[in-house]
Amino acid sequence: MSEKDSTDTDARTDGGETGIVAPDDEVPTWSERKERKVGLSRLTFEYFERSRREDQDLRNESDYVERDVLGFPTWPHEIIRNLSISMFFVGMIVLIAAALPPSLEAPADPSSTPSIILPDWYLYWSFGLLKLNPLNPGLAVLDGGKLLSDQLYGVLANVVVVGAVALLPFLNKGSARRPVEQPFWAAIGVGGAVFSITIAGLAVQNLIPLPLPLQLNIVFVFPVVAGIITYAVLKTMREGYMYGLNRRYYMLRPPK
Amino acid sequence: MSLEKKDDFDHNAWLKTKDLTPIESVFLTTLVFLDRRLRIVDYLELLEDAYYKVNLQMPKSHTEQYDLDNKFWYWYPLYSLGFFSTLAYIVAAVSGALLGFYYEPSAVGDPSTAYASIEMIMTELQFGFALRSIHRWAAQIMMAAVFLHMLRVYFTGSYKEPRELNWLLGIILISLSMVFGYTGYLLPWNQLAFWAGQIGVEMALATPIVGEWAAQLLFGGFTLGQATIIRMYILHVFVLPFVVTALIALHIGIVWVQGIAEPH
Repeated sequence: MSEKDSTDTDARTDGGETGIVAPDDEVPTWSERKERKVGLSRLTFEYFERSRREDQDLRNESDYVERDVLGFPTWPHEIIRNLSISMFFVGMIVLIAAALPPSLEAPADPSSTPSIILPDWYLYWSFGLLKLNPLNPGLAVLDGGKLLSDQLYGVLANVVVVGAVALLPFLNKGSARRPVEQPFWAAIGVGGAVFSITIAGLAVQNLIPLPLPLQLNIVFVFPVVAGIITYAVLKTMREGYMYGLNRRYYMLRPPK
Repeated sequence: MSLEKKDDFDHNAWLKTKDLTPIESVFLTTLVFLDRRLRIVDYLELLEDAYYKVNLQMPKSHTEQYDLDNKFWYWYPLYSLGFFSTLAYIVAAVSGALLGFYYEPSAVGDPSTAYASIEMIMTELQFGFALRSIHRWAAQIMMAAVFLHMLRVYFTGSYKEPRELNWLLGIILISLSMVFGYTGYLLPWNQLAFWAGQIGVEMALATPIVGEWAAQLLFGGFTLGQATIIRMYILHVFVLPFVVTALIALHIGIVWVQGIAEPH
């Protein structure tokens, strides 16, 4: 190899000039080029520099107990802890599957409507929302006619519920993580969970021996009651609980 | 400047200086061959890194470190629901792929070919009964786990600030899982399937502007038939698996990057 180098030092090309200028000391390195860049990449670079410095300044200047732990490592710590529990439940799936095989109902028959039409249980809440048509108001302006058809009303109820859930992280911000720290939001959560069950009851309303108006009241009143109870309980617990929580933080990491 | 490579190691000469058994020399030659083409060393480093991470002593979690609440460990199983639903998804995917070998999506005949093929799986196929049972229960339990996972995330405030995007992604995933369940529910083409499909068509038709278009696209028309079952089948075994698997990977990837949110 060294023999060849000494005899054949010229660039071997396909013929003609390459047009490629060999790098020498004058040619900027990649990092230098990056620094010289203008426009978006330059802005990105500057932003990262600034934000890193800001973080450092905040850390140096803070005089309160930070809640700086945003997350606990997923791999391997969390996954390995999860594995034991999860594998057990995967085993449970097989066990349940062996013990309770699924049934196969009568074949499809478009000419006979069954008395009970139901989706799988996890869609009951959605199916219940479709059956909210008794609440679809008739408007006096339209001579008691309805602005939205009953079906569209149900579909929109689904959209509203899912949309409200999607908005959550933009409505409730801050570092509070525990229900006791935010009784209001915990109450909303409990109310929502109870609502998902009571509205599922509406899906099977023809199987429940209650008059429809009473059942509609139950659908909306039970979640509110559950929410109020949650709020009251958490408000009561709050003071003592937060005292203990803060004491632990201050004992281990007193303010600088 | 020369196009001649100058800084290559002469691996063959290096091999000759060593006293190797035939097995070792074959192994090393193969390794050198593959590494010069595929840069295996880089990936070996990743493996090595993972190996040492596994063997590290686990650090205390935030909750343990500050002795915040020993009830955390009481609630801990709820923290594994996300991982568990992923495993249930894998179980459903494997058993579903096996069921796919025997299922025929066709509404032709009386009872329909689809219904007859499910009946064959349940009564004649070796372990077919168990296979369908496992597929169905894995799907049911996955849905339950996913809903509980959502409640856990809500009540521990894990959807908050750096994690809004993953919450939105989770809502998309839970909706797609329900579509997954719905399309699967329609496939046996029994009474429940047919009338659940009927409700689906009515829901689609009730939606203004896009309703009829959506009914055409998803159900293949305004009345249920062969077109419906084939569309449900393609959604269930082709479209949704790709989309949902990709989104699950993204969801878990974001959790990986951001870490597990423990209660503070």
